[in-house]
Amino acid sequence: MNRVGIVGAGITECRSRWVEATYWKLFQMAVRAALEDAKMTAAELDAVVYGIYNDMFEHMAIPESALTGWISMGLKPGVRVTNGGATGFYAMRAAYMEVASGLSDIVLCVGGEKATDCFDPQSGTPTPAVVGVIAQSWDPFYEYPLGATASDSYMGKCMAYNDAYPGDIGDGLVRAQMIEMLCRQGNRNPFGQRRKETVTAEQVLASRWIIAPFLRLLEACMYTEGAGALIFANEQKTLEICQRTGRQPIWVKGVGAANEPYAVGRGSDNLMELPRIKSDHLAAYRAYEMAGVQPSDIQIVEVHDAFVAQLMITMGELGFVLMGKTRALIDDGVMADIQKLGDEGRPEPGQVLINPSGGLIFGGHFVGGSNMFSTWSAIREMRRRQVPLSLVHGTGAINAAYGGAMILELGEEVRA
Amino acid sequence: MSQNQTVIPQEFNLPAGVRPVTGLDGIPCLELATQMTTLYWQTYGEQSRFFQALIEGRLIGAKCPQCQMVLVPPMTWNCPDCGFTDMEEVVLPHHGLLAATAPITIFPPAGQHGNAPYARGYVDVAVDVAKASFLPARLITTTGLPRPGIFVKGVKLKLVFKDEREGRITDIFWVPWDEIPEGLRDIEPLLASQLQFEDPKPPVIKRPFEEVFTAVRDLAVKAVRSPRAVENLKAVGTRRIGVWVGGGEFTLSIQNGCLEVKRVSDPGVDFVIQADDPNVFLKWANGGSLSDPAAEGSLWLPNTEAFGILPALDRVPRSVRRDEGEGKLSPES
Repeated sequence: MNRVGIVGAGITECRSRWVEATYWKLFQMAVRAALEDAKMTAAELDAVVYGIYNDMFEHMAIPESALTGWISMGLKPGVRVTNGGATGFYAMRAAYMEVASGLSDIVLCVGGEKATDCFDPQSGTPTPAVVGVIAQSWDPFYEYPLGATASDSYMGKCMAYNDAYPGDIGDGLVRAQMIEMLCRQGNRNPFGQRRKETVTAEQVLASRWIIAPFLRLLEACMYTEGAGALIFANEQKTLEICQRTGRQPIWVKGVGAANEPYAVGRGSDNLMELPRIKSDHLAAYRAYEMAGVQPSDIQIVEVHDAFVAQLMITMGELGFVLMGKTRALIDDGVMADIQKLGDEGRPEPGQVLINPSGGLIFGGHFVGGSNMFSTWSAIREMRRRQVPLSLVHGTGAINAAYGGAMILELGEEVRA
Repeated sequence: MSQNQTVIPQEFNLPAGVRPVTGLDGIPCLELATQMTTLYWQTYGEQSRFFQALIEGRLIGAKCPQCQMVLVPPMTWNCPDCGFTDMEEVVLPHHGLLAATAPITIFPPAGQHGNAPYARGYVDVAVDVAKASFLPARLITTTGLPRPGIFVKGVKLKLVFKDEREGRITDIFWVPWDEIPEGLRDIEPLLASQLQFEDPKPPVIKRPFEEVFTAVRDLAVKAVRSPRAVENLKAVGTRRIGVWVGGGEFTLSIQNGCLEVKRVSDPGVDFVIQADDPNVFLKWANGGSLSDPAAEGSLWLPNTEAFGILPALDRVPRSVRRDEGEGKLSPES
């Protein structure tokens, strides 16, 4: 496989709703920002990969078809990826593969969502309709008619984890402290949806239950409208563009993915095992193997945090803390404090900067492009803190079935 | 097929039109009322056998003759572990173990309005074989609404069939084995009408309540003077709610936006709610919530109607506090 770099990254502001822009405009804004970041024009792009989670949110079947011309990709190849919450990661994987294979030299990867135009007339608000559309991720025979939702499926995983590893994610104060830290990080993200909000641990503990005992309102990710774009390039083009921009290259050092099966059970690889998020574990360790690194080598992560309890389990599955002892993130200070690091500080040995963007809880969660948003942040933080490695993680589908991880490396400055 | 129900409820709709809307940028824009609805006659195909068996009061699975894996429900009849070999029908027992502690949904998606709170979990039915899938299941208790502590990992469950079945997963549900009277445990199929779900027996309470009563009565006195609280209470309509807490009882009467607290227990109440810990109502009266203890399991409710009025009651102490803070309480009469 050929070496692949990421030469440009751009995102829109994250908003709960953009009445000023359709998804056409949001995708165009992100592409424009990524091209400006790379100091290049759309004419230099060979192909595009779109990440769009579902047709119902965009209110158009084949929603990417309308984008082709408006993002200046007319008469070039384009493919859409849709993989639940992990859509963004899988779109990035497809773009990476297209360049690594040598089929294309430079590939645009753009994802986003217009999630909250949906409206529920019975409550007079969008939320039950948004939850309802996502609930259609379940099959029509068994799970959907029982009223399965996205949040209760992730909570089902958390409850099964708690059955297997009691005394870990159940401490509301630990989760609330993580929220407080994530909030401070989100405050530093100029594009973050909740950048002006202050949430304290006390407020988290006072917020209402969504699903007791692992999910209060202030522990949940958001619905976001926005878009994010990345530009993947082969080694030669990466070096050329970095010479042009005067910045250190970002290399894709490892990519791993795994999807767990739909039906829950025991004893077979074709049945999902409940207490684990095995997809996260397998994806990350496949990426580590490809990159030749260990979790202890990585000090910046952008993890797909649908809910804080799931973030804790995922950090265990990724190998940064022990399964069953993930509260070490707070108890042992594994989670680096942005207040101490400031804008340019490196985490202490043994510490990890987790979701400096504010994550999906404070930064934003435009499903088809959330992992591009995470990648944009990981690149920004590696450069400003001069940290050599980072990990970007994506998860999605019911019961957190889909998992993906990408390891990024900060390269040496390119001299003319 | 139902003669008078439609797939989409009649009231689930929007008036057609375009309207102005302004967002964060303050720029006047427009939005269009529209829809992306698809109706289906959904193929059951190879899944049909499972649902036909449910109609007959039987629970079946698919068993692989090579690796002995049992799939329930039989989402496939060709073993994915053995080169898609044909699987055989196996009749399964009407009891099983909960595979993991079940989440309780209190904020349902569109389409599940009025059903919350509900519990959904995975039941391990084919416990004797090494490889088996779990059945996605609606979990119901005869002791009132589902609450934490009932549907925990490993609890033994009994399969119950609705009396009227048409071939849906909701034709069946699961009830804790301990709640099934001994004489009914071996009946297959056990019908819902053979169990007692109405008038669930409340748990025993044992703590004093004087402080709670005073706090709730003080709240009610202020609520009458608070315009916001009156609006909140108007949404509840006319209700008389019995409250049993800490060794005593009182009645909340709500009418025309007016909340009245009576020390006596009223035999004509619409329903009774209760909490062993008097702090549940003390916290509410001091600006807390009743929805939270309901979600946590410390406030016992008899039915979804009781659950449905909690959001309005939650707002009352906050409204009183806001109106008091803004000097909007009307003078004491």
